[in-house]
Amino acid sequence: MSRKFLETDSPAWVAEGLITEAQRERLLARYPPDAVQAVGLLPLLGSILVGLSALSVVAANWQSLPTPLRLGLLLGSLLAAYAGGEYFLRRGNRRVGHGLIGLGLVLFGASIILTSQLYQLVGYDISGLLAWVVVGVMLSYLYTSQSLVLLPILIGAAVQTYCTQALGIFSYTIMALVALGSGYRWWRRPDTLVASVLAVGLLWQAALWVALSHSKITWFFIPAMLVYAAGDWHRDRPAARALQGPPLVAAYLFALGLALFGETDQYAGLLRPPVLAYLGALAAVFALSVAGKRQQGRLASLPDWLLLLPGFYLPGGLPLAIATLVVLYAHAGSVLARAHRSGEAEQLTLGTVLFVIATMVAYFKLTWAFLDKSLFFLIGGVLLLSLSWYLRRRNAQRLAAGVATTVGASPAPPSTSENGSAH
Amino acid sequence: MRTRSTPSHRLLLRLLVAAQVLYVLGVAGAGYATTAYGQHIALATTPVDLHGLQYESFVRLHYTAAEAPLTAWRGPSPPQRRQAVYVLLTTAPDSLASVAGVYAQELKPAAGQAVLRGWVTDVYAHTLGLRYNLERYYVPGDSPLRLGKTGPPLRVQVSIAPWGQARIESVRLLRPTAAR
Repeated sequence: MSRKFLETDSPAWVAEGLITEAQRERLLARYPPDAVQAVGLLPLLGSILVGLSALSVVAANWQSLPTPLRLGLLLGSLLAAYAGGEYFLRRGNRRVGHGLIGLGLVLFGASIILTSQLYQLVGYDISGLLAWVVVGVMLSYLYTSQSLVLLPILIGAAVQTYCTQALGIFSYTIMALVALGSGYRWWRRPDTLVASVLAVGLLWQAALWVALSHSKITWFFIPAMLVYAAGDWHRDRPAARALQGPPLVAAYLFALGLALFGETDQYAGLLRPPVLAYLGALAAVFALSVAGKRQQGRLASLPDWLLLLPGFYLPGGLPLAIATLVVLYAHAGSVLARAHRSGEAEQLTLGTVLFVIATMVAYFKLTWAFLDKSLFFLIGGVLLLSLSWYLRRRNAQRLAAGVATTVGASPAPPSTSENGSAH
Repeated sequence: MRTRSTPSHRLLLRLLVAAQVLYVLGVAGAGYATTAYGQHIALATTPVDLHGLQYESFVRLHYTAAEAPLTAWRGPSPPQRRQAVYVLLTTAPDSLASVAGVYAQELKPAAGQAVLRGWVTDVYAHTLGLRYNLERYYVPGDSPLRLGKTGPPLRVQVSIAPWGQARIESVRLLRPTAAR
C-alpha cells in the first residue's frame, strides 16, 4: 500500500468510524515517506556512474591495450562480479547479489566474444557460445532468482539468432537446453513472467528454424503448440495460462491473416505443407494437449484449438476467407461462453475484443467492394457501437449475476438459464 | 535450488566460475594454436574504406575471393543464399590465394591448396557472392591504417586450423611501393 493512498483516504476512514485517529497515525507510521527510499538509491546511482566511467576508459583504449592486459581485465571483472555476488548474498542482500551473479554471466559471454575478437578468430560452429547458454542454465538452478532464470532464456534466443543469421545453422542443442533446462526450472517453480518469456523465447527460436529451413510457415505451429500442450500438463493454472498466451496469440494472428489474405490462392499456397506429415504431427500434439487438459480438468479450454484448424488446405478464394471467419467467430464465442460460465471479468473483456475484431474483419472483407465508401464507414460505425452496447450490457448483467451467486443470496436464480444463449 | 550458501553450493559455484575462466583461456589458446598449427594463406582485398575507423574500432574488408564465377560452383543443387560452403583455394608460397572451386560438401585439399569455409551471400547471374566471417578487422592501436586517409588494397594473412577455426594473423599493404 502506498503512503499517498493512505494519506488521502484515511481521514475518511476515521470520519466513517472504521478506524480511530490513533490507529490512523499508527498506520501512517508503519509506511514511512518515500523520500527515505529515494536517498537509499543515491549510492547505487553513484556506483553505476563510476562503473560507466571505468568502462568507457577501457572501451576507448581497448585496441591499444596489450593482449594479456585485455584478457586479464576480462577475467578479472568476471571473477569480481561472481565474488561480489556471493559476498552480497551471504550478507543477505539478495537483490544486489543476484544482480552481480547475472552480471558475471553476461561478462562470461562478453569475454568469449571479445577474446575471439582479440585473436581475430572465427569458428564455424556454435560451440563457442554454446558454453554461455550451458553456464546460464546451470546458474539458474543454483539460485532462486527470477532474473537468473530469465537470463539464459534471453541468452539462448540471442545466441540462436546469431547462429542462424551469421553461421547459417540452427542449433538444436540450444533449443533443447532452453526448452528442457529452463523449462524444467520453470516447471519446478512456476512463475507467470518466466512462463511468458520462456514461451516467447521458444517461439522465437522456432520461427528462426522455419525461416532458416525454408519450410512452410505453418510448421511453426507444431513447436508452438507443443509449448501450449506443455502448459496443459502443468498444475499451476495462472503460470500455465501465461505459458499458453504467446502460442495462442501467434495462432490467432495467423488465423486473422488467413481471413484477411486467404482469398488469394498464392498466399494459401505458401502455407500448405505435405498433408499427412503436417496433420499427423498436429494430431499428435493435439492428443498430448487433450490428455493434459483431461488430467488437469481443463477440458473447457479445448476450443483454443479451433484456431489451429488447417483451413488453408481448402482451395483459396472467398470460401476459405469465410470459413476462417466462421472459425474466428466460433473461437470468440467459445471464449465468451467460458467467461460467462466462470464470471471472470478479464476473460469477458478478451472475448468481447475478439468478437469485435472478428466482426470488423468480416465487415471489411464482405462489404468493401459493394458499398459506397461513406455508407460503408457509417454502417460499420453503427454496427460496432450497437455491438459494444449489447456486449457491455450482457457483461454487466453477467457480472452482477456472478456477484449475486457468489455472495450466496438465494434470490435471483433464473439467471442460470441465460447460459444457453451465450455466443 | 538452494539459496543459502551451503558449502556444497559454494563449491558448485566455484567450480562453475573456474570452468568459465578456463573456457575463456581456452578460446585464447585456440587463437595461438591456430597460428601455430594452421595452414597459412594470403588473401587480397579491394581498397578498404577507412572512414568507419572514426566511429568504430574495425574496418570492413572486402576480399577479392569474395566473388567467384558461377562456373566454380560444385554442388548437387544450385547454390542458395546463406548456404554454408567450402571454398577451395590454390595457394603458393608468397603468392595470393585464388578461388579454384566452391563446394557444398567438405573436401580434402591437395598440396598447394587450402579450404576456407564461407557462406553464400548472393547468387547473381554469373557470379557468386561469398562471405568468410573474416570481414571485420579490428585495427590495433599502432596500425599504420589508423594514420592513413585513403584506403589501400590490403594483403591479409589468414591461418586455417585443421579443427575448423580460422583467424587473421596480420594485415599488410598489398603493394608497399604504391602506398603513400
